[in-house]
Order: sequence, then structure tokens, then C-alpha cells
Amino acid sequence: MASRSGQPVEEEDASELKLGEDFVKAKCLMNAEVALVLQRKYEQLQQLADDPSSQISQVFERSLQYVRRFSRYQNPDAVKQVREVLTRNQLHEFEVCVIGNLCPETVEEAKALVPSITKRGRMDEEKIETMLTDLATIKKFE
Amino acid sequence: MFFHIYLDRNLQLHPRHFGPHLRDKLIAKLIQDVEGTCSGRHGFVVAVTAVETIGSGLIRDGTGFVTFPVKYQCVVFRPFKGEILESVVTMVNKMGFFAEAGPVQIFVSNHLIPDDMAFQSDDVPNYKTSDGSVRIQKDSEVRLKIVGTRVDATEIFCIGTIKDDFLGLIGDPGGAT
Repeated sequence: MASRSGQPVEEEDASELKLGEDFVKAKCLMNAEVALVLQRKYEQLQQLADDPSSQISQVFERSLQYVRRFSRYQNPDAVKQVREVLTRNQLHEFEVCVIGNLCPETVEEAKALVPSITKRGRMDEEKIETMLTDLATIKKFE
Repeated sequence: MFFHIYLDRNLQLHPRHFGPHLRDKLIAKLIQDVEGTCSGRHGFVVAVTAVETIGSGLIRDGTGFVTFPVKYQCVVFRPFKGEILESVVTMVNKMGFFAEAGPVQIFVSNHLIPDDMAFQSDDVPNYKTSDGSVRIQKDSEVRLKIVGTRVDATEIFCIGTIKDDFLGLIGDPGGAT
């Protein structure tokens, strides 16, 4: 763990996908995925300990509450499909999760929420439109 | 945003724990040490999901404690400047409102609330448009954009804005714009 204090710190900006060196290659998780992971862990803890509350940190509890409230897809298969659709379009991990979390309904909305999506000419409006329709279909048949 | 990342840490263990359950003891200690902590660099550690490797221990001179290098995977929550996320309003006052997204607190100042929304000091303090179509109060769900983060030793604090396209109240017909 070499300290890198000598290097100038690049200012982070999620809208341009500048996440800093620790996170640029990290795997992002959608709220729905976090909900699955935490829920499972929560159940395990409840089985193991008689007093689960002592085992669970406040951060854990608040995160679980949050992802339960804001996860768009409940069904594990649906979550998997969403990720498939989004990664198929060569999106960055971070973009995948922002779209998966916020579920934009229109192309305009998607472009406003994820400004980096149109940069570097990766996606045109038509492609975004198709992607959003695919997502809406998954949601409908969940 | 939540991330799944690899982290490593040196754990110090008292010799009384050495025995057949050494690995379990180490994992229990790891979880106890890191879950719920927060650092400016990696954000809030929400849950340890897997322990990758446990290196060979090194005896500390003089104490008998042994240091084990441990590599593990965990779920962290790290807010970024420019990120858009959804949050729950926890408190409203005339300076603005506070919202919560998982473990992180976000403050939205009244300068960063659209100009057509004004503070109302009713029983339930709220921000409301003049025609009453949009109303933000405690427990409202709000989509906001993080414009700044402040990191101290044990907490990350964010400043947010809802003064942009597609930000603001969600789950309310006509309120999402």
C-alpha cells in the first residue's frame, strides 16, 4: 500500500466518470442488487445470533432500509436481466447502475441524468430509446 | 453509489485465540472492526461479503500479538460529486432541507431549491410551489444531485441540489420535473 500523496489529486466528478483511482475499476452495484446481498446477510445474522441487533451496525441498517425503499426490481432474475441489457450496450459500470437505479423513462431524461452517455459517440438517441424500452419491458413482466 | 470492492487490512490478534478456530476468530474480528466504519477514501463499509486470503501472521516484538494481512471483499457506499441519487427527506427548515441516502446525510440549501418553491412554516414544515402541485416535506422522496462532499474522520457529508432538469420530488405525478 504505497502512499500516493505526491500525485496531484484529480477532482472527482461522476458526471464525467471521474471516480478516482480506487473506484474507477471497482464493481458498482445497483440498489436492487445491494438489497439482495444485504437481505441475505441480514437473515443469516438473525439465524446465528439470539440478539441480532447487537451484530448489526447502524450503517448496515440504514443502507438496508434505503435499498429496500428504492430498489426498482424485486425479483432476482429481473435484476440480472437489467444488468444484461445495460452491459450489452457497452456502458461503463457506473452508468449501468445510475440507469438501473433511476429508471429514466425518456431519452431526454436519460441524457440529463447520465451526461456521459452520449460522450465519445458511443450511443445515439435511437440506441438509448431501445435500451429504455427493453428495461421497461423487464419491469412490466417482473 | 454502492460498490463491491477489494480491501486489505492488517488484523492484530491476541495469542489466546490461536487454535482450531483461528480463521473464524479472524473473520469475526474483521467484521467487527470494519463494518459500519467510514473513511474518506472508500466511503462507508456496509457489509463484508467474502474473505479472499489471510496471509501468514507476523509476531509483534514484545507483545505476543500476531498481525495477519487479510484481503476481503465488501459492499461500500461512496457518494461522488456529480452523482444523481434518490433520497428521503429527514428534516425541513428555512435554510433548506436534510435528506438521507443510505448512511449518508445530504443537505440541500434553499439556494439550490428551484426559485418557484417557497418555505412554509406549517405544522409540517415544507417547501411548496405557489400552485401547491409540488410539496417537499419530511419523508418525501427526492431525487437530487450531489454538488459537493465534505469528508471528516468518521463521516461523509454531502451538499445536494434539486435545481436542475429531472430533479426534485419523485413518486408524485407531475412532480418529477
